[in-house]
Amino acid sequence: MDSFARLLHLSPPLAWMALKLLIVIGGVMGIAAVLTWVERRGAAMMQDRIGPNRAGVKGITLLGLVQLAADGIKFFLKEDVVPPHGNRLLFTLAPALAFVPAMLGFAVIPFGQSFSSGGQAYHLSLLDPGNGMGMLYPLAIGSMAVYGILVASWSSNNKWAILGGMRSGANMVSYELGMSLAVISIFMAAGNSPVGSPVTLEAYDPHRIVEAQEGLWFAVRQPLGFLVFFTCMFAETNRLPFDFAEGESEIVAGFHTEYSSMKFALLQLSEYIHIVTASALLVTLYLGGWRIPFVPNPGVLLSVAAFLAKLLFLCWVFVWVRWTIPRFRYDQLMFLGWKVMLPLSMANLLLQAWLMHGRGIA
Amino acid sequence: MFLVFALITLLGALAMFRQRNVVVAGLCMVLTFFGVAGLFVLLANPVAAALQIIVYSGAIMVLVLFVIMLLNSHEEEPAQSGRLVQAWGGALLAAVLGVGAVKLVLQSRTLHELGASPVPAPITLNKLGVQIFSEHLVAFEVVGLLLLAAMIAAVSIAKRKL
Amino acid sequence: MGVIVKKVELGWLDRTYVWPVAKGMAITFGHFIRQLLTPTARRFTIQYPDMKREVAPGYRGLHELKRFEGGAIKCVACFMCAEACPARCITIEAEEFGDLNAHQGFEEKRPKVFRIDMLRCIYCGMCEEACPKDAIWLRNDYEVADYDRLSLNFGKWDLMNTYASADGKAVITQDPTPAVPRRTIAV
Repeated sequence: MDSFARLLHLSPPLAWMALKLLIVIGGVMGIAAVLTWVERRGAAMMQDRIGPNRAGVKGITLLGLVQLAADGIKFFLKEDVVPPHGNRLLFTLAPALAFVPAMLGFAVIPFGQSFSSGGQAYHLSLLDPGNGMGMLYPLAIGSMAVYGILVASWSSNNKWAILGGMRSGANMVSYELGMSLAVISIFMAAGNSPVGSPVTLEAYDPHRIVEAQEGLWFAVRQPLGFLVFFTCMFAETNRLPFDFAEGESEIVAGFHTEYSSMKFALLQLSEYIHIVTASALLVTLYLGGWRIPFVPNPGVLLSVAAFLAKLLFLCWVFVWVRWTIPRFRYDQLMFLGWKVMLPLSMANLLLQAWLMHGRGIA
Repeated sequence: MFLVFALITLLGALAMFRQRNVVVAGLCMVLTFFGVAGLFVLLANPVAAALQIIVYSGAIMVLVLFVIMLLNSHEEEPAQSGRLVQAWGGALLAAVLGVGAVKLVLQSRTLHELGASPVPAPITLNKLGVQIFSEHLVAFEVVGLLLLAAMIAAVSIAKRKL
Repeated sequence: MGVIVKKVELGWLDRTYVWPVAKGMAITFGHFIRQLLTPTARRFTIQYPDMKREVAPGYRGLHELKRFEGGAIKCVACFMCAEACPARCITIEAEEFGDLNAHQGFEEKRPKVFRIDMLRCIYCGMCEEACPKDAIWLRNDYEVADYDRLSLNFGKWDLMNTYASADGKAVITQDPTPAVPRRTIAV
């Protein structure tokens, strides 16, 4: 540990940044890749099946994990078809447009307890606290995610694709409202937390939000907001029961009907990265971030482990929900978004404000 | 940094004008918004940048693109006749206006004061909220009322049978 | 026929949507855990090449031409099976042989060629029903597959040895007694 600390002091801040970048990107990509496996095996288990376990090198299948490598190779070797009358440039750009916002959203998430070594504070999040953007940043980036789908669907020159894109666009814009209002009540609670955390951090800074959850997690303090945000996250990631962009039984494969080869793989991967980022947001906002209940100061390694455990569990919940709940009808989706989620979210906001007022925290 | 974001903004705007395809033009506009958001960050106002992306790129442009895609007229028809006079007249007018604007900005006193003053502290949501609910309270309320009226009007137009 | 569809009135708990979802999640979670903890051998899925399904008694799989203890074929080339076959996949050519040991100088018939086109066979078991000598059986092997069509045109020796390894019998490629040239009996 000492040698590690010395290495940390000697190396420039840029190296520390690069290390964090490596951890985050590698971690997110790794989890997303494994998540495809979890999805298939998990689905199989829930349906009393076995799932993919055949692909292997010389009989070593690693519970089917080799299937991932097989899929990757397959995607690389497949023919890359571009629809003839679509917009070629946008068609190529769309997977990147879907992929990049999914990756970027993770930048402000604190994935472990900050520690200080040699008089210098080190924060385990890509952007250090106090950057002024705070939690607004993932919201902003998250709202960009819809472009990947919209552009993909429009440039495909395919009626199913455009239907999927339209649905997904409407879906995301409608659920963003409820989600944002739920987040605002989190800001309120974090800003007025009686813990007495360092005032240098803004109320909407993720580090401050995690600080504020030292006593009770926000999921316990704001169950209504948690429910709304949780549901909206499913809508934002285009997962069942909100996967209107794909809707296999109705519009073939939705926005990625025309996609093949690595472009398709990238679209698919970006969906899983969205799940990871959404889970990270949920963990940070509502489930106490890296905190462990009844352990006030878990330390770096333990806190990262706690964060990872919560993250993985939530990722699994995404899979779990997918194989439980059927897809909504489109009007049901709009009804739920505008007439249930938004009022609930507003009610939550007012309730929290009223409670805070009652407690005399102005 | 400023140059990069300014270039993104300007190129996005230019591409938007030159683009025949309406959807691509809309995407160029998103690019412009991103450039503007970057400029906001450089001006020590990350909140404005985030709101710019959330509101303009994330919601309004999505709806605009939505409508464009639904209308299904993606290609602008080329002009029937050249209309040289209008084109050159417009260019001349734009040039004159641009030169005038630059001259006005350069001559303004606040610009020189700005150069001398230190970099202000970044504007945060707290400050923004306090400002809105103290100094600009009346304007805020008026805007709220206006938006409410617009919303009611939109609902009444869209829904004939109330 | 008209059917009166009764609309189910949901209680308030069901209409919140949260409670039914929780119930559904509990069900899937139960299945997940149960499947996770079940050893592979006791799961519903039979992982085919490694595990094989026990076929029911009376299953009609790949044919076997039965033989006597000495290795002589039981079939007497009566063509009943070829007649009964609805798919017309059986081809028989008969020959005669001297069965001197068993029947003291009688001359018997047996198939020189007995071919079943496995690609045509529909495994109906009519040949088995029709056979007066119980010489053709449809048994429990269902893995009849190959890389080309010709190798699925099973001949007499293929058919006689289909279950040789399963039954622990010797693989035979030759009749124990030679065929005798065909003679015309003058009346």
